[in-house]
Amino acid sequence: MEPMRTAEGSDGRGAGAVGAAGAVGGPAAELAVRGTGPGRITVGGLTADGGALLVFVSEHCPTSALALRRLGPLCEAWAQAGLAAIAIFEDPLDLAIRTARRLGWGGQVAAQEPPYPASRAYQVTTVPTTVLVGRGGLVAGRVTGWDQRALAGLLHEAGQGLGAELAVPPGAEPLTKPGCSSKAAIEPELAAAMSGQGGGDEPEEMFERGWTDGLPVIPPTAERVEAMLGGRDGGESLGLVPPAMGEATLARVAACAVLAGCRPAYFPVVAAAARAVLDPAFNLHGQAVTTQPAGQLVVVNGPVRETIGLNSGMGALGPGFRANLTIGRAVRLLVSLTGGAMPGAMDRATLGHMGKLGCCIAEDEQVSPWEPLHVERGFEPGQSVVTVIGSDAPLSISDHRSRTPEDLAYILAWAAASAWSTNWWPLADPSVFVICPEHAEMFRGAGWTKQRLRQFMFDAVRKPAGQLQRGETTPAVHAAAPDALVPKWASPEAIVLLVAGGEAGRYSAVLGPCTGMGSQIVSREVT
Amino acid sequence: MAADYVSPFDERVRAAEPLAPRPASVQRQHAVLLDIRKNRGAEFLDRMETLLRAEGASTARVTKEIFSKPAALGLIDEIASGGGLVVEALAD
Repeated sequence: MEPMRTAEGSDGRGAGAVGAAGAVGGPAAELAVRGTGPGRITVGGLTADGGALLVFVSEHCPTSALALRRLGPLCEAWAQAGLAAIAIFEDPLDLAIRTARRLGWGGQVAAQEPPYPASRAYQVTTVPTTVLVGRGGLVAGRVTGWDQRALAGLLHEAGQGLGAELAVPPGAEPLTKPGCSSKAAIEPELAAAMSGQGGGDEPEEMFERGWTDGLPVIPPTAERVEAMLGGRDGGESLGLVPPAMGEATLARVAACAVLAGCRPAYFPVVAAAARAVLDPAFNLHGQAVTTQPAGQLVVVNGPVRETIGLNSGMGALGPGFRANLTIGRAVRLLVSLTGGAMPGAMDRATLGHMGKLGCCIAEDEQVSPWEPLHVERGFEPGQSVVTVIGSDAPLSISDHRSRTPEDLAYILAWAAASAWSTNWWPLADPSVFVICPEHAEMFRGAGWTKQRLRQFMFDAVRKPAGQLQRGETTPAVHAAAPDALVPKWASPEAIVLLVAGGEAGRYSAVLGPCTGMGSQIVSREVT
Repeated sequence: MAADYVSPFDERVRAAEPLAPRPASVQRQHAVLLDIRKNRGAEFLDRMETLLRAEGASTARVTKEIFSKPAALGLIDEIASGGGLVVEALAD
């Protein structure tokens, strides 16, 4: 233990020359630390709302633990008043995160590795040391060790700068407690001996880093990412991922694939899907931030489906198949993490839907009576292709009784009458119908082409405008005469038809559109 | 030691763009009113335009291609060079 030094804010003794960077009166030194979120932690960022309290601590130090326990519950109120609090550990980040959580620290967490450059920049020889950085990025004061009265004074000073009364730690014993040696101030060998055991709880660390969609993930170690890349250049850029415009290097796409649980064999499909969603025509920007529930449906066609074990049969839209679930998830993680579209942050979806965790479907080209989606879109049957479509959650359509293709087509089409909204007619954006094999067989038996079915569905679903002029509806409906028939879709091309599902059971499904975004369907070959 | 991970985040530091200084008054200011094409946004801008003119400001209206995409760079330049104030309407 080192002797306690308190309230150095008055003269800065023991903390470097007055006015030097990091010392009282001087400019706050930049922080060479790792945080738990994207981007680097900067003094400018921390003081953006007014000021920052830098609390240098170490896991091994009981006084640091005391400081974190006593100050932690106050952090949220400080933040609301404009004072950001950050605990800067002289420990690995995973250990820092667990320690902060265990002690109830409510502020930000950062970590520094040997030789502890942030501690050195602030001349920290004892932990805890609490440094106040005020407006303008100047160090306004510091307290070494635990000194309740000195900390209250520091917070009073911070409050004056912010025009607010800041909460102070309770006047409970111990009011003072000496700190411990900073690892920055001792020999590296001794510092290493003082360090706790890092690692050991990787899944929790992934949550703390924010590298998740809410479910556990596979940690993206360098080895796993390299294996996922399979010799590809990880530095290759696929473009910027909106809305945060993070750069989708192939290595980051691979990291998302690892996190999602993909096998390396899936990566060509993930990469093709990433290229597709980043095509400006897809307008991922609008989809990522909308209050709509829309997610990104990934449709896979061609030989790669069988190569990597994508399920297009029983339960094609459900759980149970690693390739489907992890490919869709990897694409969504790219949007959420690299692109910053996390729910409640830049993803503003009012409800969202479970398919936003990831939704990847393979078309059953062997069972389908029609040309598959990718051939419709201009590719050769032997090409493997990913197609992405902004879409809503699936709605199941049961029909076990139709005995003519006309009846079945009518049932399928009218199931989508409430897609997007009951009275929002016509829809310009695509509704995706997943036709089950038994339903598809009826159309095959009757010799219906895909184009005939699409046209029939388009013609079937019409209503007099007068029945739609209620609540939310389109300008076209408002402008129409009450008896004018309005179609559900703006054109037959807004009806997308896929075939997938188990051979038994007459349940098809429709996925409503992401509407009004100007998003187009985009396809990319898997290479 | 912590494992060597590949972050899915783009860790590059981006300098924060400071807010432009706010004028004390709108009098004799030129305000650009940006219609992002969100439903009923124009109604809000109509009201704002009336209020701004009543306070002595001049106004101009510009429109985004579609609400769900970032404004074109040309439009941003037009706004930046055309006025001291910008009012953007979000609506539904």
